[in-house]
Amino acid sequence: MMTTVVLAVMLGGVWLAATYRENGSRAMLLPDQVMTLFPDPKPLTAFAFTDHENRVFDLSRLKGKWSFLFFGYTHCPDICPTTLAILARAHENIVKSTVGAKDVQFIFISVDPNRDTVGKLRQYVTYFDTSFLGVTGDNAQLGNLAGQLGVAYQVAITPGIENYPVYHTAAVFLVDPRARYHAVFASPLDAEGISKRFKVLRELEGPQAT
Amino acid sequence: MRWRHRVLAGLILVLTPIAAATEEAGVSVRDAWVRETPPGVAMMAGYMVLQNNTSRSQVLVAARSSGFETVMVHRTIVKEGLKGMEHAPQIELLPNASLLFAPGGYHLMLLNPKRTLHAGDRVVITLEFRGGLVLPVAYEVRK
Repeated sequence: MMTTVVLAVMLGGVWLAATYRENGSRAMLLPDQVMTLFPDPKPLTAFAFTDHENRVFDLSRLKGKWSFLFFGYTHCPDICPTTLAILARAHENIVKSTVGAKDVQFIFISVDPNRDTVGKLRQYVTYFDTSFLGVTGDNAQLGNLAGQLGVAYQVAITPGIENYPVYHTAAVFLVDPRARYHAVFASPLDAEGISKRFKVLRELEGPQAT
Repeated sequence: MRWRHRVLAGLILVLTPIAAATEEAGVSVRDAWVRETPPGVAMMAGYMVLQNNTSRSQVLVAARSSGFETVMVHRTIVKEGLKGMEHAPQIELLPNASLLFAPGGYHLMLLNPKRTLHAGDRVVITLEFRGGLVLPVAYEVRK
């Protein structure tokens, strides 16, 4: 019984790849609870952030690489460290897989620039994975990129309150090497779920996307 | 050999009250852990599995620890599609049921640790239940 299920899943994957190649149509992709692939990846437009090394982080930094983006803030006790630990494991899996991680980057976008300084971001993201990037910008720029990805966030800055609440999406966004919003991973996330789908996606896309 | 016995005796002395309190409360805790944080981060989260061993409801009303400035019971919630946190002033443990404190759900929000906690360290947090039951629990810091 178990074998049948596993086989069906494997065949499903093969069938998925085959239809994709024949028709060149993403509409044939099976629905997936973990990753949503967009039929027409949406090109992102200009934005301007600063990364944890104090360098400009703009649209050009997304080109030539597959980028995993996650919005959060360092004063977040539960979701952010959990997600970054998961992404670090997913990154490890991708490094070890056949697709490799030469053209892959992980970016933590702080929606709380008020508290998350460049130095704080550097300490924070590199703790999880030395290759991770931490970026932030002013509210207009954060709103700009969040809007392009169709998400919202809310920072409830309260005078006199040190630990004001922040509401943010827990999804992880995948931007392709042409800086197009390509796919989204919905929470609850798991490292294997992300790395396996990314591997399939890379095999489907082939090298032409880079 | 003698020092080993002393260490063991010391451990038993330390652990006995914890075990006794657990039994008395009729609530047991397993897999209690705190996530290690990056340097400079003063906000931590604690997780565990709470088990109510009695045939009546038990209500968790507070948590405290001398290891942190503030301890609060929180829950990660979804509000208009966004994740946020809310204070959970009381949590009911159903009779003979267990309740999971896990990433993305219920957690102990631990603010401003008195000392830097590293993976492998232990920190005691006391859980308070309605009716005056208190349960000191040792949480292991994990990466």
